[in-house]
Amino acid sequence: MFEADEELVGRVVRQLRRPVTVDSALDERVMEQIARLPARRGGGTARDVWRWLTRPRTVRLSPLSALAIAAAFVVVALSRPDRFYRPAPASARAFGFVVVAPRAATVSLVGDFNDWDAARTPMQRARRDGSVWTAVIPLTPGRYRYAFLVDGVSWVADPAAPVARDDEFGTPSSVVTVGGS
Amino acid sequence: MTLHWRGLGSGLVVVTLAAATAMAQQVDSRLERLDSITRPIVAALVDSARAAALPTEPLVQRALEGATKRASAERIVAAVRRLALDLGHARNALGPTTSPPELAAAAAALRAGAPPVILTELRRIRRESLTVPLAVLTDLVASGVPVDSAAAAVLSLAAKSRDTDLVEFRRAVERDIALGAPPASATAAAVAAAAVQVNAGARQQRPGRP
Repeated sequence: MFEADEELVGRVVRQLRRPVTVDSALDERVMEQIARLPARRGGGTARDVWRWLTRPRTVRLSPLSALAIAAAFVVVALSRPDRFYRPAPASARAFGFVVVAPRAATVSLVGDFNDWDAARTPMQRARRDGSVWTAVIPLTPGRYRYAFLVDGVSWVADPAAPVARDDEFGTPSSVVTVGGS
Repeated sequence: MTLHWRGLGSGLVVVTLAAATAMAQQVDSRLERLDSITRPIVAALVDSARAAALPTEPLVQRALEGATKRASAERIVAAVRRLALDLGHARNALGPTTSPPELAAAAAALRAGAPPVILTELRRIRRESLTVPLAVLTDLVASGVPVDSAAAAVLSLAAKSRDTDLVEFRRAVERDIALGAPPASATAAAVAAAAVQVNAGARQQRPGRP
């Protein structure tokens, strides 16, 4: 059995060792085939994408669809909730306001920083002394006019702050200036 | 119906421009607090200011202040109109790139009696924001310091002083006035002290308070 295998292997080896005769025109034929292939440049995929993006084409739309798209743009543009909202930037600093109002039931801080809205910044009564009212709000650099509204009817200026001389409504107001440096 | 991309794009541009115009012309909802007589006039003043590239927020705040204080329509309109004029004069004095807070502070300074040339000079000598120097100038005048003295004091300090230095200077003047010093003298003394402090670099950060 081994002798038969050795003979087989010997025949294979002899076959492999036999010189191979190559057609002398093989090289020319291969080069001709290569030359016939279409020339290919780099970035073919990107070119295809660009051609797809820039190739003119037609879109079929009903007038109603076109109007709906336009209306959607308008609605999105007009319904932005932050149109008039100005969030306090990172440069805002906390400012404390204090007023003494012994007989007050409510005190509000109103000014240029809260749209002069008496409901926006109600002041808190200090725990130790019930006559002292305080509020802390963030302010960005700028000049703000403000006042305290006691019991919803009495306007009181801040005795610890400069008086606003540009008050044009006949009630006392104060000024707080916030610097940036 | 067949629309080409170009046609659709043009249509969207037109719609977007129309939306932007509508947004610009839409009345600030906060002005609904004004009565029906005052609201359209104030809205028109705000629109005019916007068209002139002036800040509109101070105008809105002035109108809201009047509404909260239950001022008459005439008074509110007059106040808003006066402020719009002051903002325009302030921008003329400070230049077109002035920030809204600076313009608001400059308008108050002009209303307090500061001449426009002082504002222009402040812009020339100070690189940082003018909001605090202008506010200090206004506050000093409100405290009784003559405009010329207040302007000279702020001009002498504005070039090198930080905002906190200027606020501290104003407090010093007000403290001396409260103790009985004549406003002009109090200002001169505070200028000298502040100049020494600024030159020595002895700056001290204080917690925020008016």
